Amino acid sequence: MAQAQLVLEALGRHAVTDVVSLPDNSSAALLLLLRESPDIRLHSVTREGEAFALAAGLWIGGRNPLVLIQNTGLLESGDSLRGTLIRMRIPVVCLVTYRGYAKLARWGSPPANPTAEILSRPDLDSVAVMTEPTLRAWGVPFDFLHTDDDVSKISAAFGQARDLSAPVAVLVTEDMN
Amino acid sequence: MLTKQQLLAPLAALRDDAIVVTTMATVRPWGLYSSSDLDFASADSAMGHAADLALGIALAQSHRKVICLNGDGSMLMTLGTLVTAGQSSATNFILFVIENGTYEITGNQPVPGTGFVDFAAMARAAGFQKTYSFDDSEDYHAHLPGALQQEGPVLIAVRVEPGLETPLARTPREEARYLQVSLADSAHRLREALIMSK
Repeated sequence: MAQAQLVLEALGRHAVTDVVSLPDNSSAALLLLLRESPDIRLHSVTREGEAFALAAGLWIGGRNPLVLIQNTGLLESGDSLRGTLIRMRIPVVCLVTYRGYAKLARWGSPPANPTAEILSRPDLDSVAVMTEPTLRAWGVPFDFLHTDDDVSKISAAFGQARDLSAPVAVLVTEDMN
Repeated sequence: MLTKQQLLAPLAALRDDAIVVTTMATVRPWGLYSSSDLDFASADSAMGHAADLALGIALAQSHRKVICLNGDGSMLMTLGTLVTAGQSSATNFILFVIENGTYEITGNQPVPGTGFVDFAAMARAAGFQKTYSFDDSEDYHAHLPGALQQEGPVLIAVRVEPGLETPLARTPREEARYLQVSLADSAHRLREALIMSK
């Protein structure tokens, strides 16, 4: 479990100006801090596809945004992510909370080619099964934020996004506190 | 009902240093009236996401007007953006919904709800500060200068005649200057221009 305060400080070190988000349980603690932040503007959207387009616009306008959404919303917003941050070569880090990760980790690693049998198993959350294969299919690099020890991976993601001039995801596998 | 010329020519004359974001059936026609570095075509991009992209630019460039020329079909794909814009601090955001009633680029198939959907009413209910509906050229010409000066977000719904626009491409063969470069180049150039102008 990662502390939201440490994540917030990492965003500050990378001069994030805006966070575009739709809330979920895992990001709730970080969103509470962001609402109080004097340095980062929080933008709430109605659907995750909007988050990528809004972030692209903020970046074009000269800001340094970050996207904070759940993996369910990531899957919903495929065309928006493809047609904005990816197609426009915009270096934005996306914190994606990983619903279903714990069950998936107990079961095994995500299958490279999910089948209908796997996706319909009641003991697995199908969004977890699809998250990593989808990011690979979309060409979005990713790493994992499990605990406080992984907060440095957020910094690495900013560097990778800048080097690639492309979006990079950090998958948040447990609720932040 | 207006022609695209009646819609765009007076807007081009009045836009001053506003950023203009176009999409779908207005991309090429706007390119006939403007070749500004502050034009951006949401073409070869994400389906239906011109308005939220333009809203992002408006939130970043609060000292400058940002005008989005959205279509009715595109607006219906992301109606939630009306709420996102309505609750935002983007007083500089002017969202046109150009109602031709069709998906023009794909062959003028009808857009759902044409004839009874009221975008201005939806925008008011979503928190827009000021809304307009035009279906007459003289009325539009008379009120456009004032509408562009309003504190927003502002929504301007305009009924226009459908045309015969074909699918968009980004190639040097396109007449519209902003279609002659890739979407990535276009996005990066606009960012640089906006940062330089600060």
